[in-house]
Amino acid sequence: MTLDLLKENETGIIHSIEDEALALQLLSMGFLIGEQLKVERIAPFNDPMIIKSKNNCISIRKKDAKKIKLQTN
Amino acid sequence: MFNILTGLNQKVGNFPGVTVDKKTGSLSIDNNTLNVIDLPGTYSLNPNSEDEKITNEYLKHTTDSDVTIVVMDATNLRRNLLLCTQIIDEGKQVIIALNMMDLLQANKQEINIEELSNKLNCSVVPINARLNKGIQELKEAIASYQLVQTSFSKTNTSNNIDDTLIRYKQIDSLLTTVFSADGENITDLKTKKIDNILTHKIYGYLIFLSLLLVIFQAVFSWASYPMDLIEGGFVWLSEFVANTLPKGVLNDLLVNGIIAGLGGVVIFIPQIAILFTFMAILEETGYMARVSFLMDRILRIFGLNGKSIIPLLSSTACAVPAIMSARTIGNPKERLITIMVAPLMSCSARIPVYTILIALIIPAERSIGFFNVQGLLVLGLYLLGFVAALFSAWVMKLIIKAKQENAFMLEMPIYRAPRWKNVALEVLSKVKVFLVDAGKIIIAISILLWVLSSYGPGDRFEQIENKYSETTIKLSPKEIQTRIASEKLEASYAGVIGKFIEPAIEPLGYDWKIGISLVTSFAAREVFVGTMATLYSVGDEDNTKSIREKMMAATNPKTGAKLYTTATTLSLLIFYVFAMQCMATLAVVYRETNSIKWPIIQLIYMGALAYIGSFIVYTIFS
Repeated sequence: MTLDLLKENETGIIHSIEDEALALQLLSMGFLIGEQLKVERIAPFNDPMIIKSKNNCISIRKKDAKKIKLQTN
Repeated sequence: MFNILTGLNQKVGNFPGVTVDKKTGSLSIDNNTLNVIDLPGTYSLNPNSEDEKITNEYLKHTTDSDVTIVVMDATNLRRNLLLCTQIIDEGKQVIIALNMMDLLQANKQEINIEELSNKLNCSVVPINARLNKGIQELKEAIASYQLVQTSFSKTNTSNNIDDTLIRYKQIDSLLTTVFSADGENITDLKTKKIDNILTHKIYGYLIFLSLLLVIFQAVFSWASYPMDLIEGGFVWLSEFVANTLPKGVLNDLLVNGIIAGLGGVVIFIPQIAILFTFMAILEETGYMARVSFLMDRILRIFGLNGKSIIPLLSSTACAVPAIMSARTIGNPKERLITIMVAPLMSCSARIPVYTILIALIIPAERSIGFFNVQGLLVLGLYLLGFVAALFSAWVMKLIIKAKQENAFMLEMPIYRAPRWKNVALEVLSKVKVFLVDAGKIIIAISILLWVLSSYGPGDRFEQIENKYSETTIKLSPKEIQTRIASEKLEASYAGVIGKFIEPAIEPLGYDWKIGISLVTSFAAREVFVGTMATLYSVGDEDNTKSIREKMMAATNPKTGAKLYTTATTLSLLIFYVFAMQCMATLAVVYRETNSIKWPIIQLIYMGALAYIGSFIVYTIFS
């Protein structure tokens, strides 16, 4: 399961991030592996999406979200 | 922060990307003057865009600063501490300014400041930049800082990800003793409610479009009053100088070179200031981030980025500050394309040209239903520029190879009321960029153009003077003056250039006089109007006719037919929509891309668009 497949208001926990630069960028914006995030909103035309973790809220493209693996329960 | 400390021009951003360059100012505390350097905001010392690189470079590689003030958002301590501890571990002496304490209280959260200060071994000063609170305390902290050797994270891993993860772990354990929250975050809830409307699938776009309409309406209608005043002021000034100083080269240079150039720069300040005021308000409130979010998918089709919307909109005022604001676009390819196409948006300097040319072919009173035809044509030219920008971007997307793929990530800040002081300072700084960066080039070229049009090869100028001193035709002295002026312009270097390019522009329906205007437009496009005024002043003894009437009466000397036919005028309009006739923009593109290649490509591709577009239009309508 990857982040881009989540729908609005669904939540997930970050398992791993493929791309190192992307991982670093996400980390510095407050998105940590093992923590919960929520899809707040998906833009019209289905891309990009706004994700939120604690009180960090960012917009991310689906293409990049695909590189974020979520934990499977 | 910087503003308050120095009384200078910097704004406190609630998300990175508001400051795109480092700025310097000074601050005096107890009669000591300190130099303060403001750096662009960043999330960490692992930069993702040009503006973040500036901060990273400075913090890692310069040693001439005594103390680093880290302004942190108190409502997001965890993430802000990441950057803060990285800076501490770079060996910097840090003073923390905790901002947005008001929001913290509203959300029933608390920070133990003393504990935070002890744990990090540095001063922590709570402030409220909005209300100027805590500033005195911050100044005192700066004045009384003592050198302490401290570090936060003892890890020595070379892997940035591991380092960041370890830092977060340490920060989290620190926060358990420092931070406490009670109840729900109300500011987040408010933001969510506003977002439901502003990023709505339909209303979101409608609201954005209506906002654009309001902004452009305001730019056009409000700016005309101060612009008239400025124009009047410069007319007065040039008459005053022309009549006060003794006649001669110096007088002429001052009036027709320097004052004319300066006037051509200052006249645009009202429009630029109004547009950037709106932009600053939209950025301050957090709305611009939502527009970027809404537009990203659409703009991506054309190789652009959601953040490109800011440079593109700014370009309708002036491309120079607009191109600088493209620094916040992290993806190098998308940033480059934004820079390359932004000048196709119709800027303020094109408006005078559009206005005078449209008046030649369409009477002011003609309308279709509610709509004034002249206004519709102007709107059409703006849209044409916008469509051309998108199309060119799309072509470049296919041609330019991406060196690296950066992720598009944009923080969605909470909505806040704009801080008016910041809006004012932001507008001031944009106007300053325009005045300094664009202004100096426009004035330099105005002087160069003055030389080109005041001097000619050989003794042609003397011959003209002699011809009229010996003439026996009965003419008033004024008529002789204007004839001399016009013939001199024809004989000048500018005239020579105009005649030289005449064969190349003939297929577009232009003569050498228009050729001169195309050349002089390189200072700034609106110079077209002034050049036309000089060229067509012949035969107008009392100088009573407007430039429009003179241009209307102009005929082709070879055929005797009217020169400004619908075909020629439309062709000229198209030329001005597309052509890259602005040295200041080329200079800033050179600086921002750090390569001569891109401004040259820009000059050529926009020139080709202009030539082909004008040729097609002229052929269709003639």
